[in-house]
Amino acid sequence: MTTTKKKLVIDTDPGIDDAMAIFVALRSPEVELLGLTTIFGNVYTTLATRNALHLLEAVGRTDIPVAEGSHKATKLRIASFVHGSDGLGNQNFPPPTGKPLDQSAAAFLVEQANLYPGQVTVVALGPLTNLALAIELDPSFPKKIGQIVILGGAYSVNGNVNPAAEANIFGDPDAADIVFTSGADILAVGINITHQVVLSDADREKLEQSDSKYARYLSKILGLYYDYHKDAYFIKGVYLHDPATLIAAVDPSLMTYTEGVVRVQTDGITKGLTVFDTTKKRYGEITAWTGKPTVKVAVTVDAPAVVEIIMQRLTTDD
Amino acid sequence: MGSNEQIHRDKLIIDTDPGIDDSMTILMAFRAPTVEIIGLTTIFGNTTTKNATQNALLLCERAGHPEVPVAEGSAEPLKGGEPRVADFVHGSDGLGNLFLPAPTSKKVDENAAEFMVNKVSQFPGEVSILALGPLTNVALAIKRDPSFASKVKKIVVLGGAFFAAGNVSPAAEANIYGDPEAADIVFTSGADVDVVGINITTQVCFTDEDLLELRNSKGKHAQFLCDMCQFYRDWHAESDGFHGIFLHDPVSFTALVHPEYFTFKKGVVRVETQGICTGHTLMDQGLKKWNSENPWSGYKPISVAWTVDVPNVLAFVKELLMAP
Repeated sequence: MTTTKKKLVIDTDPGIDDAMAIFVALRSPEVELLGLTTIFGNVYTTLATRNALHLLEAVGRTDIPVAEGSHKATKLRIASFVHGSDGLGNQNFPPPTGKPLDQSAAAFLVEQANLYPGQVTVVALGPLTNLALAIELDPSFPKKIGQIVILGGAYSVNGNVNPAAEANIFGDPDAADIVFTSGADILAVGINITHQVVLSDADREKLEQSDSKYARYLSKILGLYYDYHKDAYFIKGVYLHDPATLIAAVDPSLMTYTEGVVRVQTDGITKGLTVFDTTKKRYGEITAWTGKPTVKVAVTVDAPAVVEIIMQRLTTDD
Repeated sequence: MGSNEQIHRDKLIIDTDPGIDDSMTILMAFRAPTVEIIGLTTIFGNTTTKNATQNALLLCERAGHPEVPVAEGSAEPLKGGEPRVADFVHGSDGLGNLFLPAPTSKKVDENAAEFMVNKVSQFPGEVSILALGPLTNVALAIKRDPSFASKVKKIVVLGGAFFAAGNVSPAAEANIYGDPEAADIVFTSGADVDVVGINITTQVCFTDEDLLELRNSKGKHAQFLCDMCQFYRDWHAESDGFHGIFLHDPVSFTALVHPEYFTFKKGVVRVETQGICTGHTLMDQGLKKWNSENPWSGYKPISVAWTVDVPNVLAFVKELLMAP
């Protein structure tokens, strides 16, 4: 019996944990990676494109196209204090030799959705600008895309940019609200989940001892990310936001989900807040959540299993 | 015990929008031996401020304390405009459509904010406020007297939904939604504030069985309260599919007199005043060191009720309501 591989596009702002997620995708036999699209967040979009090309070259996968995404962000907040000024742990790698496609990220997403209607999964690891632009470009995109797996939001917990907001949603709250209410098949993984998925010091040692080219590369860039977590969260280890979200797309059985409407606050002091209505209560009045399409939000995770699968894929070679 | 030993009674002002669960609370508070009610102040919310004043006077008379002053509060939120009134929860009279005869006593001349400021100045460090409705009056008192926040003993607020869904919308709880600007002023005022959100109060309910137990009790106000509760109970069945009532206000009163039945977490709380999440209460739990200033930076933390000992709170509420 042959199984069809899951067609994936990763929308990404590499970023140290983005690099891990991209490598895990390349090492996942269930996945066919159609391309990377880039966005600002951990770094500016231009650098995200450069890093995406560089990461593919570093592991010999120049067959995978990169489409550059939007540079637009109303109030740009770049997390260089988390990922380094180059986005990859301040390693100052040489520039990539490859070039991105002539197409924009949004155009590439629309093209792939049209090429394989209902079959493409987008794993969105940064602000949702490119996806909102894809919806603007083609209003039928939400129906044609298979699934959008989003790393974003903080559901009933504090954010990580400020007490209200998680970084990816904060990066473009208007885009996030458009995507969440678009009617697409959406699965959202918030930091309430990813903060449970921690790569320990012991795991890092295992990575350092591994001969796989993926592990060798990641060992070089992880130091800064570990330092940041120790300083900001008082923990020894790093959160695997992006790889955990990638795993949610590859093997949804490692998390449980609740369905409901998610809206994003787009102004005020709680800008970027994600509020999830599980529709258990009937409200006396019409609210901003009433009648909007539902999405799935991850509520529990088998964290040890997620870490194990990530480690297993990164410590072995092709 | 020596005969000259007096029970110390804490001076309390209840800021209230009666309101069915407000009525339960006021009648409970008058029977609590450790509390001296020095006045009621009124606010919109469950009903209009005008109605709330009438109902507060009526409840003082019912409780046998017509001498307790009732000061009328603001008819509208700080930003102005028609207030939101939950008559579909509490009836058009605020008391479950019992349409009781008008009280004979009168409100005092001072308004609610003046009354609070005057009492707190008269007894600095001794007066607590139990705020059961939107926080307009308390915010006006803070604006009126810059020393109010440091002179008030404690403000216990029923309001907000902390890391939980609201009851007006998924983002907002009714009291905070009623005047979000006022709530933000109170929470960031530097006063000693304990806040009890609906994530706590919805854990403490009277089921139909409990209501029957109350009706069959010898409680002085049991019949009156049970008649009033019928409308409230029917709304809960419709809205939450729950056959019984949430004890929002009685639980908040219990938090004031028996804080040992609760655990609290400290954190800065801000209130959203714009957009679809207007009225959202957001607490910084202090789990992360922020790398730059944000709207929560620099304010004094308040105490947010985190867990509740449901059996003990229920027993306390029943004891006060069912005692003859």
